[in-house]
Amino acid sequence: MVRTAAKNELLPGTLDMLILHTLTRGARHGYGIAQHIQEISDDVLQVEEGSLYPALQRLLVKGWVKAEWGTSENNRRARYYTLTKAGKKQLGEEAENFSRMVLAISRVMRTA
Amino acid sequence: MAKLGEFWRRIIFSFRRSKMDRELAEEMRQHLELKTRQNMAAGMSSEEAGYAAQRQLGNLTRMEEESRTSWGFPFLESLLQDVRYGLRGLRKAPGFTAVAAITLALGIGATTAIFSIVNTVLIRPLPYKDSARLAQIHTVSPMFPEFQLGESKPDFDDIQAGTHSFEAMAISQKKTTNLTAPGTPEEVDAANISANFFSLLGVSTALGRTFQPEDEERKNGDVVLLSQHIWHERFGSDANVVGKTITLEEKLYTVIGVMPGNFESPGKDDLWLPFLKSSEAASKRDNWFFGVLAKVKSGQSMQAAQTELDGMAERLTSKYPGDEKGIKFKLTPLQESVVGDAKSGFIPLLGAVGFLLLIACANVSNLILSRGVQRQSEMAIRAALGASRPRILRQLLIESLLLSCIGGAAGILLAVYGIAAYRALAPANVPRLNELHADFTIAWIALALSSITGILCGLAPALHTSRPDLNLALKERLASGTPTRFSMRSALVVTEVALALVLLDGSALMVQSMVRMLSVDTGFRTDHMLTAELNLPKSRYATPESQQIFAQQLLDTLHANERLKNVAVSDAPAFHGLRMTTFYGNDSLETGGKSTTLQERAVSPEFFETMRIRLISGRIFQQTDIKGASHVAIINEALMKRYFPGQDPIGKTIQFSPKAESQVRIAGVVADTRDVQLRAAPRPQIYLSLIQNESQSLNLFIRTSTDPLALATELRKTVWSIDKDQPISHVQSMTEVVSQSVAEPRFRTGLLGVFAAAGLTLTLVGIYGVVSYMAGQRTREIGIRVALGAQRGNVLQLVLGQGVRLTIAGAIAGVLGSLALTRLLKSELFGIKPTDPVTLIAAAVLMLLVALAACYLPARRATHIDPLVALRHE
Repeated sequence: MVRTAAKNELLPGTLDMLILHTLTRGARHGYGIAQHIQEISDDVLQVEEGSLYPALQRLLVKGWVKAEWGTSENNRRARYYTLTKAGKKQLGEEAENFSRMVLAISRVMRTA
Repeated sequence: MAKLGEFWRRIIFSFRRSKMDRELAEEMRQHLELKTRQNMAAGMSSEEAGYAAQRQLGNLTRMEEESRTSWGFPFLESLLQDVRYGLRGLRKAPGFTAVAAITLALGIGATTAIFSIVNTVLIRPLPYKDSARLAQIHTVSPMFPEFQLGESKPDFDDIQAGTHSFEAMAISQKKTTNLTAPGTPEEVDAANISANFFSLLGVSTALGRTFQPEDEERKNGDVVLLSQHIWHERFGSDANVVGKTITLEEKLYTVIGVMPGNFESPGKDDLWLPFLKSSEAASKRDNWFFGVLAKVKSGQSMQAAQTELDGMAERLTSKYPGDEKGIKFKLTPLQESVVGDAKSGFIPLLGAVGFLLLIACANVSNLILSRGVQRQSEMAIRAALGASRPRILRQLLIESLLLSCIGGAAGILLAVYGIAAYRALAPANVPRLNELHADFTIAWIALALSSITGILCGLAPALHTSRPDLNLALKERLASGTPTRFSMRSALVVTEVALALVLLDGSALMVQSMVRMLSVDTGFRTDHMLTAELNLPKSRYATPESQQIFAQQLLDTLHANERLKNVAVSDAPAFHGLRMTTFYGNDSLETGGKSTTLQERAVSPEFFETMRIRLISGRIFQQTDIKGASHVAIINEALMKRYFPGQDPIGKTIQFSPKAESQVRIAGVVADTRDVQLRAAPRPQIYLSLIQNESQSLNLFIRTSTDPLALATELRKTVWSIDKDQPISHVQSMTEVVSQSVAEPRFRTGLLGVFAAAGLTLTLVGIYGVVSYMAGQRTREIGIRVALGAQRGNVLQLVLGQGVRLTIAGAIAGVLGSLALTRLLKSELFGIKPTDPVTLIAAAVLMLLVALAACYLPARRATHIDPLVALRHE
């Protein structure tokens, strides 16, 4: 039961932010979101793809994303997620927090 | 706002659970498919691609589970799951559940009932409007230092005009009156009240109108207001009663209204008449016999009102130095005067039910503990599967809470019946009985008690059972219990014994006090005596002469009757009603020139002989002590010792008022009696001759040779042969009268006894349970002992000894507890000290005997242990 994808695990709590950010460019289904995160990060961020779904449920309950069934590129039924207004606001807050933290960490690292 | 939205979505999602489940599964399956296809496009074989996709996606089951937690209310759901699981467990152990629930029902039920009664009687505001602002005003006069008198009408008027603390004040006077029609002649409680009396209490009539100011001047003739029960009994609840008449003291009164059924006036009156401003009694300044009900202004404190009354009393004292010298006004909140000293009576009851509940808790704790031992491996498996200790603890506590809630529900039933029984059995002079009924407070009290109880009896066993000792538990269970395992069990039994002993000692003290009170030397013989009360209507017997004639006629007729001839008459009854008290001031008395109050009783010459009151010196009344002759008095020993120490009082005089003609000469001294209250030591008492002091109230005391009650009918007939409209009340044997005078404390003693018996029974069951368990745990040890040659006696001793040791430890704690706590009973006890050693030792011995009885069965069972079986046992 050794997990191979142990490298480059996401910082806790950042998955939500990444999902929200992905959705700023329009509605996507779960697979699409996973693909996008991987592509953009040049395969550095190995999201355990399954964990995307619990995260999406969480976001749904919070009211930050909406889900609707639609038809996919290859004409199949798929659930599309879109960002809500509250989701946009949340993303703004999280992104700001995140960059503040990254800044702080890198500052600490430089002074070492 | 955002929170609310989230809450709402969670609710919606938990309802769409199965749809959400399906959709999520579909979504993930698609993801898997797309992933596989992508992998194949990258050159993998279809099988390889599928595995890789699954790997990349991760543990789907776990993902689904995780997703579900965000849909609903996971905490609540797992709680619900625990509840379901707990209920299933309880259903599977019906014996355990029944015993535990019944035990808790007993504790919770009794406590709920008493709490609810205390809440109704002591805490809940009186059922009048703004009842917290209602108060009575009393006069305290140096002439009657020990009494709270009412007000005189002139004082009432002065207070009303000269104070600003009160919103309104009403005046009233209680009296008994003879109601003769419709129906049979009966003495009823009436009150003359001012027109604003009912509006002050915030009640209005159910039928008709209340009094108007003009009624106080008799402008509408003689009018009366009926209570619901008089309306019911005398008019059959006739809706057209207004305008009809009733006869009081041979005078017709027109009914103007009926009060509502749930209304009871502070004086528990049967009917009301208007207060008559012009009456003679209302004109005298020193006639302090009117009740005053006042409503303090909103926002004004009782304290401030009292201060204002103090100033008023001072002004009146200096203005009327003759009549009002040194008077004070005392403001008493109405609640306090209605509830009175019921408060102190409830303290032992509250303590007793509290103890009973704790004993029940200890018992159930022990049961849960025993069950926990059987579930040791279940707990271990749960822990091994990853349940944290708080999680297991929570589950166990939920189980005990379930148990206590079942007990609580049964307890509510018990409490409802208990309160109904209390209401039915309590003596009528217990305040606010009519307000007692089962209502929702019972449910709240039971719920609160159940919650506390569930945690109280479940926490210790839960902590114990949830202690993770996986290794030990999953392996073979311990061959035989190690002594440390018993420590909590033992502690519970010791506590239980201690609590039960305190309860036992307390109730034994109360019972003894009651026995001693009932067997106290009253100074007269109470057996074979018939008593009755006659109040001569003023209308018919207005003059002293006519009263005298009736009394003489009655006595003559009774004397002529062989069975009723040993009759004596007094102006006051025994053991109930207010005793007239009078003051005297005479230079010949050792009172330092001050006046004081005495108990006074006017009696016919036969009184002392009939009552068997011993004459100590001088003489008793004679037929020659008549009106024209010099007035004589007989005093009791207490008066002699207090005011004539070391002197011969015969021939000395006592004066009742500044007027010289009020002087009486002491003719004799008789022994002390207790004829007002059994528990009160005899007070200085003066007897006057009834012939010289005729009275409207005639109380008969008839010495009989047979069962006194068998003569009741004959007595009534005799009275009615003289005057057919004369009501005769309280036809009772003196034994009944005595017993009724202590009805209320006896009732409480009985209640306490019931609680103590219940506590003792629970303790018996508790000791039995624990000793059985311990003996069971030692089966192997006992088997070995028997195999090594131990005799039956040794085994018996072994098991009994264990139980007895625990009991003795508990008894010691109980004795200490009793010494500390029974002093709370001090004001309740008569003739016995709260620390009475004999009672305490007897209670401890009884406890020990009960413990022995509880241990005997398991001990006997242990003697039958077959060593062969026992050694193979584990």
